[in-house]
Amino acid sequence: MKRSSIILLLVIALLIGVLVSTIQDASTYASFDMAQKQAPETVTVVAQLDLDSPITFDPQTSMLTFTAIDKDGQSSTVLYNQPKPQDFERSEEITIKGRAGDGQFVAIEILMKCPSKYTEEGGVMADDEASIYTENS
Amino acid sequence: MNYMGEHDIWIQSGRFAVALAFAAALIASITYLMSWMRKDGAALRRAGRAAFMLHAAGVIGTVVILFVAILNHWYELDYVWRHSSNDLPLEYIASCFWEGQEGSFLLWMFWQSVIGLVLIKVAGQWEAGVVGVLSIVQVFLTSMILGVYLGDLHIGSSPFILIRELPENLGLPWTDMVDYLMRVPGFSDGQGLNPLLQNYWMVIHPPTLFLGFALITVPFSYAMAALLNRDYSAWVNDAMPWVFAGVGILGTGVLMGGAWAYEALSFGGFWAWDPVENASLVPWLTLVALGHLMIIERVKRKATTSTLMMAMLTFFLVLYSTFLTRSGILGDSSVHAFVDLGLNGQLLVFLGFFSVLPLGLFLMRWKDMPKSPSEDAFSSREFWMFIGSLTLLLSAAQITFSTSIPVINKLVGPDGMIALLSTELAPPVEPFAHYHSLQIPFAILITTLMAIGPYLRWKSTPWSLFKRITLSGVISLLIASLVVWGLALYTFSYALLIFTSLFAVISNATYWLKYLKDQWTVGAMTISHLGFALILIGAVISNAKKEPISTNSTFIHQDFPSNENLLMPFGDTLSMYPYWVVWTGEHQDGHNRVFDVDFYLEDDSTHRSGTRLKLNKAFTLHPFVQINETMGNVREPSTKHYWDRDIYTYVSYADLRPASVKNAEWAEPMTAIVAKGESILLFNQYLLNCDSIAIDLASFDQFTGDLANLSMRMILRVQDSLGVDHPLDVTYQVEGSSALPGEQVLEDMGLKIRFDGVSDTAGQFKITAWERNPKQDPFILMQAFVFPYINVLWLGCLLLLIGSVLSVAKRIKKLKG
Repeated sequence: MKRSSIILLLVIALLIGVLVSTIQDASTYASFDMAQKQAPETVTVVAQLDLDSPITFDPQTSMLTFTAIDKDGQSSTVLYNQPKPQDFERSEEITIKGRAGDGQFVAIEILMKCPSKYTEEGGVMADDEASIYTENS
Repeated sequence: MNYMGEHDIWIQSGRFAVALAFAAALIASITYLMSWMRKDGAALRRAGRAAFMLHAAGVIGTVVILFVAILNHWYELDYVWRHSSNDLPLEYIASCFWEGQEGSFLLWMFWQSVIGLVLIKVAGQWEAGVVGVLSIVQVFLTSMILGVYLGDLHIGSSPFILIRELPENLGLPWTDMVDYLMRVPGFSDGQGLNPLLQNYWMVIHPPTLFLGFALITVPFSYAMAALLNRDYSAWVNDAMPWVFAGVGILGTGVLMGGAWAYEALSFGGFWAWDPVENASLVPWLTLVALGHLMIIERVKRKATTSTLMMAMLTFFLVLYSTFLTRSGILGDSSVHAFVDLGLNGQLLVFLGFFSVLPLGLFLMRWKDMPKSPSEDAFSSREFWMFIGSLTLLLSAAQITFSTSIPVINKLVGPDGMIALLSTELAPPVEPFAHYHSLQIPFAILITTLMAIGPYLRWKSTPWSLFKRITLSGVISLLIASLVVWGLALYTFSYALLIFTSLFAVISNATYWLKYLKDQWTVGAMTISHLGFALILIGAVISNAKKEPISTNSTFIHQDFPSNENLLMPFGDTLSMYPYWVVWTGEHQDGHNRVFDVDFYLEDDSTHRSGTRLKLNKAFTLHPFVQINETMGNVREPSTKHYWDRDIYTYVSYADLRPASVKNAEWAEPMTAIVAKGESILLFNQYLLNCDSIAIDLASFDQFTGDLANLSMRMILRVQDSLGVDHPLDVTYQVEGSSALPGEQVLEDMGLKIRFDGVSDTAGQFKITAWERNPKQDPFILMQAFVFPYINVLWLGCLLLLIGSVLSVAKRIKKLKG
């Protein structure tokens, strides 16, 4: 066998290895239910912040406690031992990496998606429409 | 209808310039490529050249008009309104320009037109083929900002679209108003620039990165022209300076992104393996591989097919990374991807066109291409250079796969095209562990090759040359052991990488000093290799030995190890080994809330004498939070730089309310309506009972019949959570035209209640209630890290850049000579 063929095979084998390792290292998107079943495995939950439940932050321990509702509509208390992110309440969707603990979800990392950062919900007219209509009438 | 205040002529010219750029690029590509295929088409080539110049004029015109529009705040334009504002400092106007997708596409095609103009001058006989292919790329890029609707089909998003022309605004009454720009207050100011981007790095990072991307189009165009004309090898010489310019500039752009993350974002480091960062790194890796394959091809004519393939792949990866960052597909996994503009279909066509056609052409020519007849010798430079290029390719492959997880979900996820997976994949939970598991072995291999490389010879290397590196090897092993021991860096892979990188540094440095007689002009290879190895050393040490010095050691639960946030009450001196820190002040500077944190070191004499602790002020840092109502607040770090380490801090939590609100005695009030015998809930925790309401006195003006005097009294009871009643007695009086609402404070409950008189409904009365602001000593949470030897990394960047410049100079010289 030619050496170049050996190298080619080796490269292909390594490429497959790389792909497999990526899939193995990848976590999965889960609901809180699935997280509970898969505990203590770390999963990623895409959820919404429950604004009706209290969001508390204790600066002494820098512990943030809040309730999130996952895409299946199930809610869970989430503990996050990091300072409360800026504009936390305004986030439209939060991506929580972590694992299920005793009846709670322990977050390691939280990514927030704020609608305002990139797109504007009402656009230029959001605040002004009313005033125009009254002006015209 | 002529709308007042709109800059009609300018905007029409802008749209015309875009259309011109598009049409001219189309004509240029057709005429140029026809000329290229016919060989004798001199007239066609002149036509192509003229068309390309028109195209460049169109692109430059578009850029100028958009700049003028942003500079003059023409808010009738959606792009200007969305990305700039009146109070924006002049130096960030440029950032507004490329904050949006349209502007960044424009930046990209601007660089490519400039490159095209240079190619017309220098490409000689390759002009028609190369600029022709480049023009096809320009056709696609220009189509991204065309903003044309063909029925339901939406081609491109124009930067010159007016807000009143947006689909969601069509037909609204204000769009019929001639003077809507003056009448509608929303048009007086724009949305502003994302505060994350209000940073000088964002002024220079995107142009550098896009120039790097644009330079990658050049080897691609050469490769395509070569395939079209069945001239598979000669292009390499001409394309080489462009490739090495790309290596230097794209590399600088990528590292500037890292520097931006380090200096201005509180990511806690300069590289986070964020998908957007990865997307710019991957084409750089394959571009470096391409450069090395081209060297093999130029010297030995032994890498014809792989060089062509790598040129195509690198360009494809630029487009793929564009797709990843702009399609919104990374939305869940990255913090700084662009918004989806609804151009995904178009991006996919772009991607498909430039993968299927080049690959098809390549396969068509496969039989015709010369293959290397002999095997390379094990001891030859070309063999190991080839292995190095393959390693870079594998490294790029891993990063691409992992970054593509959202794409994998779209393809084979549960809701994907072929549902192979039962659950959606999410990015690795620990990105560092994931990437490092393979990238560090790759880096170890690459640095080893870089150490041996200079001593290898083409064809085969005599044994005597190999012996020359043994000394470098021994010296590096010694130094590496010292470094590993001194820094206690006892992770095997890190320690090994430190050794191989040091080996590369020392071997290249000795080679340059000893055999090249420290001549700058021939040192391109050694200097850039040395720089790259230093980057790796700096990255490994500063990352592996990044040390959080701020800690919160309050024990909560075993699940929560002590974290890295130091609670700093105002004015307290706290230990943050080796420093003592005090939060001494806070002030508002423009949009920024700046915190002053003093750092002290213990006086040496303190230990010896055993007397009171004496502190000497070392420095003051000013981490700040940029406050932006519309975009969200951004916390920005402050760093003290020493030659051997950085002290990096940022405020991770602070009460950002204005002082008047924070220090007010009473918090935000609530109003309520009460009626006799009824009870209401106050602040979700107290029950307010209205026991009786009495009118003590009421008299009317005898002439007008209006109420002249009124005195009411309300007896209330507030029940606390334990069920204990606290009585209240408030009055409300009217004397003539003035009302005197009475209030009473319940000291022990921290409540204040005011009687505001009668409500609109008979028998109901208005009250306002306040809760006392909890007495809170001001505090902030701060994180502080020490990054040791991070300057090694920046030094490496500088050397890599110098090395690239030298190799461009060398290639141009060889081309001319």
